[in-house]
Amino acid sequence: MTPLFEPYSDIIPDFSAFQDSLRNPLPTCIRINRLKTDPASLRQSLEEKGVQLTPASRRHDTLFLAPHVSLPGNLLAYFLGHIHPQALTSAMASLVLAPQEHASVLDMCAAPGGKSSHCAEIMNNTGLIISNDLYAARRPALGHTLARMGVLNAVITAYQAQEFPLRQRFDYVLADVPCSCEGKFRQLGEAAAYREFGGKETLPDLQKRILLRGFDLLKENGRLVYATCTYNPSENEAVVHRLLNERDADLFPIDVEFHVEPGLTRWNDETYDKRLERAIRFYPHRVDSVGFFLASIGRRC
Amino acid sequence: MLRQKRSWFLIRNSAVLPAFARLKPAQAGIKAFRQVGDFIKPTTRIIQGFGRWASRSMLHLDRSQVRALWRGEKISMDLSIDNGYVILVIGAHDILGLGLYVNGRVSSQLPRKEIRSPML
Repeated sequence: MTPLFEPYSDIIPDFSAFQDSLRNPLPTCIRINRLKTDPASLRQSLEEKGVQLTPASRRHDTLFLAPHVSLPGNLLAYFLGHIHPQALTSAMASLVLAPQEHASVLDMCAAPGGKSSHCAEIMNNTGLIISNDLYAARRPALGHTLARMGVLNAVITAYQAQEFPLRQRFDYVLADVPCSCEGKFRQLGEAAAYREFGGKETLPDLQKRILLRGFDLLKENGRLVYATCTYNPSENEAVVHRLLNERDADLFPIDVEFHVEPGLTRWNDETYDKRLERAIRFYPHRVDSVGFFLASIGRRC
Repeated sequence: MLRQKRSWFLIRNSAVLPAFARLKPAQAGIKAFRQVGDFIKPTTRIIQGFGRWASRSMLHLDRSQVRALWRGEKISMDLSIDNGYVILVIGAHDILGLGLYVNGRVSSQLPRKEIRSPML
């Protein structure tokens, strides 16, 4: 098996099952967009056309597996904005954030727009979402996703996430940060190597700066979700640990219906704040999806 | 509604919007209209979102007709409307976007690159 994940053999439970799971193809998962259609009627309509959907969640009726659909982008429902291909674990980020209607939301690294559009749906197109992405090459895809999904409450901005202006505060912040994408191994294969950003800054340093800025942008009772699709504790627990050391922040428990593992409190020679146990880790041999890390953060009461 | 050069963007009003007025937007809301020559044309996305409230100029098509339009063909139709844009509907109520009705023939105004053959 690839040596890339051997360093995690002590932290990933049932490591051989984890390694075996990496040989299986990633299942196709789609999210039905309530802004444009009704999940039950769309499901029926697709089944009449021979596209079978299986519910992926007991709690959320918009999440489905489409086992026989290899290219959901080829469905008319995609063009119509009725569906969005999205990994089940990725969809959890917006659901854990749970932005309320009429609230203000900052999606710090928003492209290509899956989570922003999901937030818009959860908010019923009310309030305001600032969908921020620095990279000009990624913003067309972001704008396209938002338009296709019928999002009417979003503004796209182009700030460096770690330098987002502090003039205003948000009710909710989503920090789905750039990461080494180890959790996407089944999509990307061996090519998903650790990425340094221009040699000027390591990923954990960048992630920490983004997380600190995101926290500083929160209102008093605001909520922030820190999300990555990597297993690397240096990009996950270590980053959140640094936030807990430098800000009056707290972690909140996350309740999801899936089999998750708690965040780590130690790795190699590093020890992390015990509250990191409230973070959650998704592994592909537990939840057949992209590997993911989520932490729900707010100001300490 | 916001205007930028030859485009109009629609964003839903919200009580929280003014608090963020000093941010520099790259884009606000959805592009709703754009100027095409002397005419103002609604975009596909705004028609998909709001077309269900149209009370006229809606054209229900079957898949073979949509395929023909997608291929660039013009469909002959005797519609009791003036020349202009029509809303293209496939099936019972799925709004695709706009067509253009001129002198008894309908042509597609749909974004051709976004519609793939397997969709039809």
